[in-house]
Amino acid sequence: MNAELSTLVPRRARGWRMGLANMLAKEIFSWWRTRRWWVQCLLWLVLLNGAVELNIMGDFPVSQAGMSFFLMAGLALPIAVVSLTQDSILGERHAGTAAWVLSKPLRRPAFLLSKLIAYALGFLVTGCLLPGAVLYLQLTLHGMQGIPVLGFAAALGLCFLNLLFYMTLTLMLATLFDGRGPILGISLGILLTGLFCGLMPPTRLTHFLVEILPWRFMFLFGPDNPLAALVATGAPLPTVIPLITILPWCLLFVGVAVWRIRREEF
Amino acid sequence: MDTTFKPQLMNDLNFIESQPQVIQTIGLSKTYKGVQALQPLNLEVREHSICGFLGPNGAGKTTTIKLLLGLARPTSGSGQIFGLDILGANDEIRRRVGYLAQDPRFYEYMSARETLRFTAGFFYEGPRQTIEERIAETLDLVGLSDKADRPVKGFSGGERQRLGIAQAQVNYPDLLILDEPAAALDPIGRKDVLEVMERLRKHTTIFYSTHILDDVQRVSDTVIILNHGTLVAQGPIEEVLAWGQASVFNLTVQGDAAAVESRLRSLPWVVGMEMISKNGRVSWQIRVSDPEQAEAQLVPLALAGGGATVCEFGRRSQNLEEVFMNIVKENNHER
Repeated sequence: MNAELSTLVPRRARGWRMGLANMLAKEIFSWWRTRRWWVQCLLWLVLLNGAVELNIMGDFPVSQAGMSFFLMAGLALPIAVVSLTQDSILGERHAGTAAWVLSKPLRRPAFLLSKLIAYALGFLVTGCLLPGAVLYLQLTLHGMQGIPVLGFAAALGLCFLNLLFYMTLTLMLATLFDGRGPILGISLGILLTGLFCGLMPPTRLTHFLVEILPWRFMFLFGPDNPLAALVATGAPLPTVIPLITILPWCLLFVGVAVWRIRREEF
Repeated sequence: MDTTFKPQLMNDLNFIESQPQVIQTIGLSKTYKGVQALQPLNLEVREHSICGFLGPNGAGKTTTIKLLLGLARPTSGSGQIFGLDILGANDEIRRRVGYLAQDPRFYEYMSARETLRFTAGFFYEGPRQTIEERIAETLDLVGLSDKADRPVKGFSGGERQRLGIAQAQVNYPDLLILDEPAAALDPIGRKDVLEVMERLRKHTTIFYSTHILDDVQRVSDTVIILNHGTLVAQGPIEEVLAWGQASVFNLTVQGDAAAVESRLRSLPWVVGMEMISKNGRVSWQIRVSDPEQAEAQLVPLALAGGGATVCEFGRRSQNLEEVFMNIVKENNHER
């Protein structure tokens, strides 16, 4: 053995952080050093900003066209998030790579968190910030002046929080179920229920659900515009409860996922 | 009858047995959904040994390995690696162990070098140059230097296996756990893997499961045999082979073979007789439970009736495969 063992500096991270830095670097590599980043960028630019451009070309008012961005982002982005996130956990469990990396000095919570952080960062940039910045340019170029930058940034923040909800939900489901059916069914079921709740006459149950779930962030609810669109234009919000409940939801999902993966057998 | 001959073997301490224990389990067992995959298992692996872990499919080898690595939780019992509890100190254990899975899987988009860099990253944070040197030397060791920068997705089964061995030992492990390291390899690949294992033995302890008994006989110094989740044999390979040799005799007679066979089969210490006829003579492989009695009495008893003459007699040397088959057969018979 030629490489000097004594000169190698061992990793010092202990506890839940053990292996996190290395696993996170690998996850970030898989986002930014493969074709994934430009595929995602292209996809969302075409889908989200392309939809806005088509609406403007179709003689929609610019503000309405801008609204379509949030509606589209509220539906299409979570579908992509659910699809990719479930595969990141389930795919690794089925392929055997999860067992491989977990036989190394890597804590199970670190395995989960590395994916959560990398995917959250990936979708934040490719699905929120980049298309959001292009949307701002589009709206400005098409004559919509005076869009408050902070409000617009906050709207993109809501778009990201909405993604985070579905990402953590999927992460949890991927640790609880072994098949893709229940994971896709439950997470996409929640998403589509939110869409249809906004389109149907409100009931006490739907009122309650839209208060505690992030559906209003991106979807219409009765006569109300999506919260993201209201925040972007600086309009008053009909409710702030969904903004308060979303982070506890995410923490709960991550907590359950960590609890479950610690008991998983590979 | 308990076919585990561990107690006899363990009495004779040789060099390996004088070494400290690296793996020790006490009553380690695993039940999956009501099915007992591993009966309470007491196994010992000594430092600097190459220990072959044998058993038919479904014997519980992979289950044992997963329990040792913390990838599965035992139903009962305990285990230690380097004196550290496999449940309580699993983080520390994994820092000192290299593991090759039965069907090694890697991230397909990474090259072999990136895979090793990723693996090394769990153990070391620098200096980068030394890590790269270590990676290069590991690639060289397994003969993958010329394919180091190709994506893993284009690798053959044998190349994946080599990469598996490389990643398992990139961190200078004190213990290498290899699950079927030569299973996917052609004869040349197998030979290479065995050579790598022999080269590594001076630095590390190797615990590996396999079906290929020739390989075990070539490189291992200790053997553990598992059958239906039960430990049936454990000890230095010479003693396991000696046990096999001690209990099987060859006897060739000319004349009234039927009478000889009938007389011998009636003996309580004759476990089995397998007949091979040739050139008017009749030969048997006779398995016995009491080699001393057999050595003293088989020939006199064969000659006792007067109708036959003994042409050949002697202990039969067995290879590991025969010993293994006999042990497993005997164990299955008792179940």
